[in-house]
Amino acid sequence: MIELLASRYAYALMFVLMGVGMYMMIANQNLVKKLIGVNLFQTAIFLFFVAVAYVEGGSAPIVPTEGAPGAMASPLPHVIVLTAIVVGIALTAVGLALIVRIHSEYGTLREDTLREVRADE
Amino acid sequence: MIETAVAYTLAIFILLAAVATALFRDVLSAIVVFGAYSLGMAILYTFLLAPDVAMTEAAIGAGVTTILLLLTIARTTRPSTDRLFERINVPAVIVVGAFVLVLGTLLPDMYAVGTESAPIWGEQGVLTETPSLYYIENTFSDTGAQNAVSAVLASYRGFDTFGEAVVVFAAAIAVLLVLKREVFT
Repeated sequence: MIELLASRYAYALMFVLMGVGMYMMIANQNLVKKLIGVNLFQTAIFLFFVAVAYVEGGSAPIVPTEGAPGAMASPLPHVIVLTAIVVGIALTAVGLALIVRIHSEYGTLREDTLREVRADE
Repeated sequence: MIETAVAYTLAIFILLAAVATALFRDVLSAIVVFGAYSLGMAILYTFLLAPDVAMTEAAIGAGVTTILLLLTIARTTRPSTDRLFERINVPAVIVVGAFVLVLGTLLPDMYAVGTESAPIWGEQGVLTETPSLYYIENTFSDTGAQNAVSAVLASYRGFDTFGEAVVVFAAAIAVLLVLKREVFT
């Protein structure tokens, strides 16, 4: 059990972080904290990609100009994570703009209050 | 050996920061702890041999995201509170716990972190010509760039990066539309 966790710590961490992010999305009533939960969930998945690319005793994916490259981390998952980080920030920005708009319309950021206000209309 | 010890310590730090983010009732505290979480994540990426991802995470995750979140609570409200932590929502904990347990049963079937027998390096531990190896071996002769990540990002997959720029552009337009209160009738 301990050995399993030690050799696969990045994956175990990813599972728990996904759980924490999901909990924030479900349980926190504040919309800003829900969005932080989305971001947390995302970074957990980035960690998975980076951990898959890692190779023990290797180097960062900078290739030598001549000679055979030794063991190094795979560049492909890194590229997809870079793209995903940038798309993630775009998503966060749109979400936050919607939150600002919701606040100016309804005067609250709490989901339960928002539901009451909308039910009264 | 020292590297794994540092990686484990970082993993525990990240975990604690994530839990603190979820539990702090004050939104400002949660945002600050989330910045620390992103920083820890960036350092963990460097230990996992992904310096490019680490730099992007530090600049965008810890930097830009934090600024955007702070701007949002500056423009809206920061609820005043007398309690330090949120109340724990038991049904949500049960649902999420079941989710994590189901995922956790997959853990023994996953490859150990950093093993060369992982499928990304070829089948059954035999190093075959997988895309990863192709890019590592041919990046310099194909593109003249030494950094394989930027070579794939800007040369091999340049059109994908262009599509990514389109996504950011669309997001910027969406933000402008939402904040300028355009009315579509």
